[in-house]
Amino acid sequence: MIEALRKKAEELLKNKTVSVVFGYGEGSTPERTRPVFITKPEEVNKLTWNKYCVYNLTTYLKRQETRKLGKPAIVVKGCDARTLIVLMKESQIKREDVYILGVSCDGVGDPLAEKCKACDVHTPRIYDDLIGEKGENKELPFDERYAELDEYENLSEKEKWEFWQKQFEKCIKCYACSNICPLCFCDRCIVEKNQPQWIDPSAHARGNLSWNVTRAYHLAGRCINCEECQRVCPVDIPLNLLNKKLAKEAEKNFNYRPGYNIDDELAMSTYNEKDNQDFVR
Amino acid sequence: MGKKVGVFVCHCGTNISATVDVEKVAEEAKKKYPGVSYATTYKYMCSDPGQKLLRDKIKEEGLTGVVVAACSPKMHERTFRNAAVKTGLNPYQVEVSNIREQCSWVHQDKAVGTEKSIDLVRMMTEKTRKDTSLDAIKVPVTKRALVIGGGIAGIQAALDIADGGNEVILVEKDASIGGHMAQLSETFPTLDCSQCILTPRMVEVAQHENIKLYTWSQVESVGGYIGNFDVKIRKKARAVDLDLCTGCSSCWQVCPSKKIKSEFDTELGNRTAIYIPFPQAIPSKPVIDKEHCLLYRDARKKNIPPEDSKVCRKCYDVCPIAPVKAIDYAQEDEIVEVKVGAIVVATGYKELPNNVYGEYGKGKYQDVITGLQFERLASASGPTEGEIRRPSDGKEPEIIVFIQCVGSRDPAKGCSYCSKTCCMYTAKHAMLYKHKVHHGHAFVFYIDIRCAGKNYEEFSLRAIEEEGATYLRGRVSRIYKKGEKLIVLGADTLTGSQVEIEADMVVLASAMKAQDDAEVVARTLSIQYDKDRFFSELHPKLRPVESSNAGIFLAGACQGPKDIPETVAQASGAAAKVMALLSSDELEREPVVAKVDRLPPPVFSTCIGCFYCQRVCPYGAIEQEDIKARDGSVIKTVARVNEGLCQGCGLCAATCRSKSVELAGFSDEQVYAEINSVEFN
Repeated sequence: MIEALRKKAEELLKNKTVSVVFGYGEGSTPERTRPVFITKPEEVNKLTWNKYCVYNLTTYLKRQETRKLGKPAIVVKGCDARTLIVLMKESQIKREDVYILGVSCDGVGDPLAEKCKACDVHTPRIYDDLIGEKGENKELPFDERYAELDEYENLSEKEKWEFWQKQFEKCIKCYACSNICPLCFCDRCIVEKNQPQWIDPSAHARGNLSWNVTRAYHLAGRCINCEECQRVCPVDIPLNLLNKKLAKEAEKNFNYRPGYNIDDELAMSTYNEKDNQDFVR
Repeated sequence: MGKKVGVFVCHCGTNISATVDVEKVAEEAKKKYPGVSYATTYKYMCSDPGQKLLRDKIKEEGLTGVVVAACSPKMHERTFRNAAVKTGLNPYQVEVSNIREQCSWVHQDKAVGTEKSIDLVRMMTEKTRKDTSLDAIKVPVTKRALVIGGGIAGIQAALDIADGGNEVILVEKDASIGGHMAQLSETFPTLDCSQCILTPRMVEVAQHENIKLYTWSQVESVGGYIGNFDVKIRKKARAVDLDLCTGCSSCWQVCPSKKIKSEFDTELGNRTAIYIPFPQAIPSKPVIDKEHCLLYRDARKKNIPPEDSKVCRKCYDVCPIAPVKAIDYAQEDEIVEVKVGAIVVATGYKELPNNVYGEYGKGKYQDVITGLQFERLASASGPTEGEIRRPSDGKEPEIIVFIQCVGSRDPAKGCSYCSKTCCMYTAKHAMLYKHKVHHGHAFVFYIDIRCAGKNYEEFSLRAIEEEGATYLRGRVSRIYKKGEKLIVLGADTLTGSQVEIEADMVVLASAMKAQDDAEVVARTLSIQYDKDRFFSELHPKLRPVESSNAGIFLAGACQGPKDIPETVAQASGAAAKVMALLSSDELEREPVVAKVDRLPPPVFSTCIGCFYCQRVCPYGAIEQEDIKARDGSVIKTVARVNEGLCQGCGLCAATCRSKSVELAGFSDEQVYAEINSVEFN
């Protein structure tokens, strides 16, 4: 698979289909990988693929430094490919401006990442080239996909509140969660708006709550649960728990999985007469 | 900011002062709120002396901002802003704090009401301190109106507007104008023949030089805004060239498909596949019903163009028009694009079908009919030529039972509302029946008799006292068939007894419902509708013909159940509104519109172009703008608000994650100041 990937990357760079390949490279230890940005055909040997390729590289599509490199080919797993679909729906990238190198994936992380446990997109649902075997993507049932929430949902409202208060207390407002998130692409985040200052920037309980809740709300019905925010959080706040819960609510209410079907309209900004209206009294 | 704010607290008689200590509110404002340099109370702020007080104090005290604590801004915001304008103050420096609807009316404890008022006024003061002066937006007006629906409401509105000297485009989805009124026999309370009074109006429409009529057509899309709507009309292919056809009737006489249920005759009579709905139809030119026409059915089956089918071409062959025949099987839908300044929606209603109630046979008894079906039976032009005969065997019914409130006032099966017309038309039906079947007897089951209207009460009493109809107060629990008879089981709640009537025919006074496609129409026009899918008026009392979308007006039963006089009155009201709108060359619009921020390079705008705002905007007011470098290359694509289209609803501002959109007069700074002025405890 690695050879096929390198060969394809070399070919794309050689005939100038793309100017850069976003991929995974070997890290400082065998259990690690790091993002690599290959601009020269002779450097494609830096590319690798293994079960440690946890990251969602689509986040580099939003960054000025990497955008400057020109049209990219990007290595994506099935889950990451869902991000691409959301980005296209939200007018952040055009389909023709990115070359998608889909990789078949049996799950990443050691031990297996939480996101891989109920994965039903082992083969990306959108790609220009597929590296590896095309597997069968059978959509898993709703309950199975959200099974990791069971324990949390059994908590009482009070317990949930206490749980989150304790978690958010730890937050140091480093914004790593929003920096890594491929869907946090605003030039100016609401937390940076200071006239008025909607969110208190200090790492204090009140500001921490506004920040974390706002971040989660802004991802509701958009987040594809790549778990990157949780992975990078230096104080181990289980951010994906919040994202996943909101994803579940969005799917339950609007029958919508972000980035799953390219033809689905964005749930959070599309009126549909079939939408659940029982909250209207 | 140095703004001098004046606070004027209204007693509203005792509406406010009974549950709010208005003096204390004014005192607190003056003593404690920053920026308040004057505060007072007055019995009725909206009265002439009240407004004078406002004007005088603005001048005397040199006020640069005003808070009037009174009723809802929907009631008097304009009043107070207009008063302020006379002193030279910008109207958007005047704010209304609602301490009536959302405070005094909902609280009983004066201490609570007062405390809440103090909070509300403090919040509005904070907002006012950050108010900026805004100028009205001016837009040009296209002097042409669109009327949607050719029933009596649409006809009346179109004629009034056209008589006022403006062009009107009237769009009707059926083959003829006339609507439900054309189906009625005689009309209450005068019992004059419906067609006799309607058809002259229909002819007037056809002949009016200012009216352009599109029948068999539908409004496809509406863009633009008040004074400048862009409308696309779909002229459905009727397979008949209206310019060539003379309405000679040869074609529908030879049509072999003669057993198609006539919609106009509420399926009690038949029509042909090429047909005019009724003899007085306007235009009096036919349309081909493609579902039933043999030729079109054959073409569909063989998957060939209809003009290639040879199955039946009788209408074409008989058509006397030469050299080009008026029948055109290959005709296709045509889209007409028009610009109009105002729109009247008069799309009417739909009768609740008779198959909803299981206890009334769920539509399986032929002789249980709806009110509209009875109209056709009683109509001289109807399937029985005005004789009352049972649909099942054509016999004259000797015992007839009318059941009122079928669907109406029954939230479980139909609607929670009263359909308003049924009490009157049932009384009329009982009378017409008695006039036509002298020896017959009519029973009417009612819940209440609601005949409020000029000469209405007298009319219904006539049915009881002079025409001998037996009115029974109670509901019918069941109808079942026994031999040729229909057994009607009901209760007479006034005597407390069970009633069993062997009837020959039963007429259900079925509810008036919103049209099936009301939601689609509402979405096309961006207007609101209520829980029953009737279109919502802007204010239930004071703006009954305006829709929620400026420049679009409502007439007739599309807004709620109405009888003919009320419909006509509302249609004329809507027409007057349209004419007022079209009388000026330019319109002034509220400057409360959204704006997407623009900043110096290299940012240009904090908008990242996700276009959630564009998708949520109900008015299509958000556009995409490319910000270009000098060489013409696109640096970024961001949202922009078309001020002409924006109605200031604020959805875009609410949906924007980066807070790049703001609503003039409701800036983030203002809203933030309002929220922060609340003392949390």
